[in-house]
Amino acid sequence: MKSTKFTPARKLSKEEVDRKWWEIGDFFRRNSLWMLMYCTGCCAIELPPAMTSAYDMERLGMGPMATPRQADILLISGYLSVKSLRRVIYTYEQMGEPKYVVGLGSCPINGGIYHDSHAVINQLDQYIPVDTYVAGCMPNTESVMNGFVDLMEQIRNKTANGWVKYKENYEWYKKNQKAALGEVIIHDEFHE
Amino acid sequence: MMNSMSNVEFLKALMTQSFKLVETDVIDQYQVSFVLKQDDVHQALITLKNAGWIQMSYLSAIDWPDENKIELVYILMNWERPVHIQIRTKVDRNDPVMPSIINIYPGAKYYERECYEFFGVKFPGNPDYEKQLILEVWDDMPPLRKDFDPKAYSDKKFTKREYKEDYLVLSEQNNKKEKREERKTRAESLKGGQKI
Amino acid sequence: MKQMKLFLGPQHPGMHGNASVHLYVDGDIIKKSFLLPGMLHRGFEKGMERHTWINNISLIPRVCVVEPDINEMAFAMGTEKLLGIEVPERSHWIRMIILELARLSIHLMAYGGLGGPTGNYTLMYHAHADRNSILDIFEQITGHRVYHQYIVPGGVRKDLPKGIEKDIHAFLDSLEKRYEEYRDLGIENPSIVARIKDTIMLPEAVVWELGVTGIGMRSAVGKPYDLRKVMPYARYDQVEFEVPTSIYSDARSRIDCKLKEIIQSISIIRQCLAKMPEGPVRIPLGRGQSMRWTVPKGYVYSPVESSRGEFGYYMVSNGGTNPWRVGVRGASYPQGLLGVEKYLPGTRLDDAALWIDTMGVCSPEIDR
Repeated sequence: MKSTKFTPARKLSKEEVDRKWWEIGDFFRRNSLWMLMYCTGCCAIELPPAMTSAYDMERLGMGPMATPRQADILLISGYLSVKSLRRVIYTYEQMGEPKYVVGLGSCPINGGIYHDSHAVINQLDQYIPVDTYVAGCMPNTESVMNGFVDLMEQIRNKTANGWVKYKENYEWYKKNQKAALGEVIIHDEFHE
Repeated sequence: MMNSMSNVEFLKALMTQSFKLVETDVIDQYQVSFVLKQDDVHQALITLKNAGWIQMSYLSAIDWPDENKIELVYILMNWERPVHIQIRTKVDRNDPVMPSIINIYPGAKYYERECYEFFGVKFPGNPDYEKQLILEVWDDMPPLRKDFDPKAYSDKKFTKREYKEDYLVLSEQNNKKEKREERKTRAESLKGGQKI
Repeated sequence: MKQMKLFLGPQHPGMHGNASVHLYVDGDIIKKSFLLPGMLHRGFEKGMERHTWINNISLIPRVCVVEPDINEMAFAMGTEKLLGIEVPERSHWIRMIILELARLSIHLMAYGGLGGPTGNYTLMYHAHADRNSILDIFEQITGHRVYHQYIVPGGVRKDLPKGIEKDIHAFLDSLEKRYEEYRDLGIENPSIVARIKDTIMLPEAVVWELGVTGIGMRSAVGKPYDLRKVMPYARYDQVEFEVPTSIYSDARSRIDCKLKEIIQSISIIRQCLAKMPEGPVRIPLGRGQSMRWTVPKGYVYSPVESSRGEFGYYMVSNGGTNPWRVGVRGASYPQGLLGVEKYLPGTRLDDAALWIDTMGVCSPEIDR
């Protein structure tokens, strides 16, 4: 006969404990995402209305952050020229995990209005992994806020794992970067 | 500002008495352009700077592959007698060389560097016109020449996104062929006209 | 006495736009500096040769993202000079209203951008809240908040909607009431004045050596050298306004000129709304033959006074359906490239970002 006073809990395995800590971490992470301040292209002009009192971003828990070492989101706002893509790759590899990438505008999707230009890349997915796209040229500030809310939903459903894909397919990403850029780290950075 | 017709007349008199002009064009009361030979350009710029045109607005080039020439253009401005002056000259396209003007207008240093990068025009006298400014690790011909095709370059180097083809192409239908030919001849007959 | 290499890099909270400044510093003093452009290069001048004359209207506003209307105005004026036509009377006045509203929005944004280098972020919050009202007015008139594509060769696209005058007057009244607050928060504030007074001065000889135009020139030379007064376009000669100048040019007097220009722009918009006549607003060029419409041969330079200086398009046509060459003269090209190389060494490290903000260096128009 089993005693009713005290039933010991089932002992959890190590993977299950890790997963539960990760879920608690995800709850805090998705409600306080910090965004790196980097305006890469045209669509960056819709960010100041989102950050300041017009369409306040801080009610979602998001705030600006100055250094990539402590930021969660890298926001690619608009097109990326070849020179800019090299600096974005250094910045992405300096961020700590888990990290998320949001692509604003139509230019990261398929090149946008600059699809026939000799200096603009056509598809951002080949070089760094992207979690959410927001289409438009340029998207309204309300669509940008909608994109952030979608990213938070993805984190809750555990489908925002671009950083895991980058680690697993590292060779494939590096091969694409070398084919498009030539050299990813410039040997004479100061252009003497 | 008041007697701007006399500004343009003053300029025309000044330039015709000192140089042999290939062409002159008055665009409106605030703009005039002179076409000179390549060797007269330096002396013309010094004359105009002493006459009051002390600001240099723009320096660039235009590519004419049919005549096998590259045309350089210099634009000057004077705020006391407001007229924009365009000075144009043609240089050989296969080996374009033009002495630098940075001892007359120091602000031309970066314009000449950019002109070398995009057209291939050399400017001896400018200390570092061969360093890259806007492009980085560029491996092809100067981009603004007419033989360069940016779409072919972009397709070769940057992969494009593939979309599913789920549409019909209607213009290949054979029973509409006569109407299409008729529309095409009518369109060709209107070519080059302004219908205002 | 070692020199350290630093990047005032593309990713920096105090940097406007995407350009990187390479610095060699010794302690706190800059010894050598160089601005590296090219991160926003899209190949516009090549792209404009591949589109027809009217198609280019959708490509051009993207050259300068904070003030896109000057691009459309310069292109439209150049095409009209090549064709030799005159647009209807009412469209001149509507063009002036759009240009002055764009000037208000960029002066507010530049004044708020002073918050990045000096650390006073409250300025940014106030300025962007007001700027958002201007973008809403643009959405009512043209249909898009930022890239309007409204000023075309031949006039403007459509007439103003009914009831827009009430909204514009309400916004201008609220901006005039808050003008004293803006001055108290930024330029009369002792902690910011200590940063911007007597720093990065611009003597008059430097202005002619570099080719600087705009507020940098007017605050050093002391004369009203403004394209709207000297070569008036689009009925600026029938409106009364003053051009603020000063003799002593340091960072504080340049920002002071910007604030005074805000008041003048408000008065210009009010006069335009009062004096506008009725009538048509567009000559439909190329209707019905968009792929075959051509422009006669010619070489034309069409300048416009933007908030940073003389902004011009150099357009060459050889009689075809596409432009043969379009060259863009960015207004901040001289002070951004040669100015940073020659006049920044000798100043302190924290003044480098202030030069970029007060002289109005806008990197998209340097790279195109």
